[in-house]
Amino acid sequence: MPASVTNDTLLAFKAGRAFRRDGSNIVEADPAKGAILLTNGDDGLLHFIWKNRETDVSEEDLIIFPTDATFTKVDQSNGRVYVLKFSSSNQRHFFWMQDASSARDDEFANNVNGVLQDPEHPLQWGTSGSSSSSAPPAQASSSTTTSTTPAAATPGFQATPEQLDYLQTLLRAGGATTGAAEAAIPEASLVDILTPANLTPLFTNHPELVPTLFPYLPPDLPMPPSAEVVQRIIHSPQFRAAVASFDQALRTGLLGNLVRQLGLPEEAGLGIAPFLRAVQAKADRENREAGGMDTD
Amino acid sequence: MSDEEQSGWQLTESDPGVFTELLKTLGVPLIVDDLYSLDSDSLANLQPLHALIFLFKWVASGDSESGPGSSSGTYDPDFQGFFAHQVVNNACATLAVLNALGNIPSLPTGPQLGELVSFSTGMDPQTRGLVITSADWLREAHNTLSPPSAISLEGLNLPRKSEDAYHFVVYLPVMGALYELDGLKPHAVRHSAYSEDGEGWLKVAREVIEARINTYPMGSLEFSLLALRDDPLPTLQSKIQEAQQAGNRELEHELLSTLTNENAKRERWAFENSLRKHNHVGLVHALLMAMAKSGKLSEAEAKAKEAMKTRIEQRKARGEDMDEDD
Repeated sequence: MPASVTNDTLLAFKAGRAFRRDGSNIVEADPAKGAILLTNGDDGLLHFIWKNRETDVSEEDLIIFPTDATFTKVDQSNGRVYVLKFSSSNQRHFFWMQDASSARDDEFANNVNGVLQDPEHPLQWGTSGSSSSSAPPAQASSSTTTSTTPAAATPGFQATPEQLDYLQTLLRAGGATTGAAEAAIPEASLVDILTPANLTPLFTNHPELVPTLFPYLPPDLPMPPSAEVVQRIIHSPQFRAAVASFDQALRTGLLGNLVRQLGLPEEAGLGIAPFLRAVQAKADRENREAGGMDTD
Repeated sequence: MSDEEQSGWQLTESDPGVFTELLKTLGVPLIVDDLYSLDSDSLANLQPLHALIFLFKWVASGDSESGPGSSSGTYDPDFQGFFAHQVVNNACATLAVLNALGNIPSLPTGPQLGELVSFSTGMDPQTRGLVITSADWLREAHNTLSPPSAISLEGLNLPRKSEDAYHFVVYLPVMGALYELDGLKPHAVRHSAYSEDGEGWLKVAREVIEARINTYPMGSLEFSLLALRDDPLPTLQSKIQEAQQAGNRELEHELLSTLTNENAKRERWAFENSLRKHNHVGLVHALLMAMAKSGKLSEAEAKAKEAMKTRIEQRKARGEDMDEDD
């Protein structure tokens, strides 16, 4: 059933679908490129449409009555996964965000929810280029803190029965939780990134980067800073424990303020993947400003 | 509420470097060293030696000891020395140190420690323990060597990994007898008297400690021994000079070697302590930036995801992530 983006399209954004595997509660992402559109139909009703961007075919067209449905983040997944749930039925439709950047995920979701509650809801969009506005506060929806994202085009998350139950609990409680129970979904840990195995070749091949670390070493070292000292530090149990602590803290998604002190945008404090993305973006910018640099 | 939240005492590492730094803060000219052997030569090298600290961690799920834990000791409810109960778990290391220091005669100390010890004269062990843990200056000195609160995770309600519960017992001579001071026991424990000949109290201490170790089933106990002793550094230099003047080459070389080792050890302690006090978040960020600038970060992240995936699969295979239903 073809549908077009008409003047009555309230909002649209790139998203894929995900489906429950038969006979299980495992939800798997479908790779097809698509879009979610919210439209005011000719019937005067609100339509929630999923369109396949490659075939331009609308494969889902759901009529939504005000306040009947919610569009909320599936917490505890590493996908940018959302679920459309109905209070009038057990229907659940899972979607995953396909925009390259997750910076606007929450913005889209909040607007979807607003419209689902009330089709007259005025849409709220942040101003572009401003880092703090694209990171809505954690209490804006009933989803919670950890926002972890894979690379945009990569599907592949699985919500287990426990995670779906957990989501239920969150929605019932209607509030945010800071419980940071470990996601059963693989996500990079800083402990596995900042290993001596990764860092030692870096120092060997880019000795000019070593002095950039000196300002961050302990100020009361009993010897002057040097590459050897840096090596000793990254091997030390104290440093490794600090990496593990920071990794754990970052996973709570609550480090928005702390990361700003590092010169990163607030959304870098939402989780491991946003943090690493923000670091890479800042590094790329600094490389460009410095006139480029050899990368291996 | 965690022990730290309730009491303000943070968990610290039980490392000779940490203890020695605390002693320096207390104004006490002693150091703590790892003790790898109780044989007479090892102990002789560490003289003057004031106390032995036995620290251990239960590995097997063992039953708790009800009695003194060693048949040769008896409770001494009338102990006139310094004995305090452990009222805050996180303070256990500092409490053990104080139980030792409070019984060393003519010990030079800083003014605050001196006042604390004399203030608690005549108190029962429980009250003394409360007085110690309420001493803000002592708590601050103790907390100096745990990670700074900028990255403390207390307010984030993170699941705590089970922390190592070490327990400390002090053995030292008081009024002619070997005493065992265990902050979790109701009273000081008196072992036998000792003669000043030869090794003196160390001979009895060795017997008592070895007997104790032998009561635990093999492999059920992780333990360390620490020695509380005079700081050798101040006198080493003058001893070296004396040996030089006396033309005693052998002694001179031996002492020089001791001095070198001692200085290397102090540097290592100072290095580790500076890492303990430091907030590493800036360094973590700077390292990630260096990786990002050299184009190595995304590869490392991808490999790390794989590593995590494998780890989770292994845990599942070992049944550690069992689903609750079906």
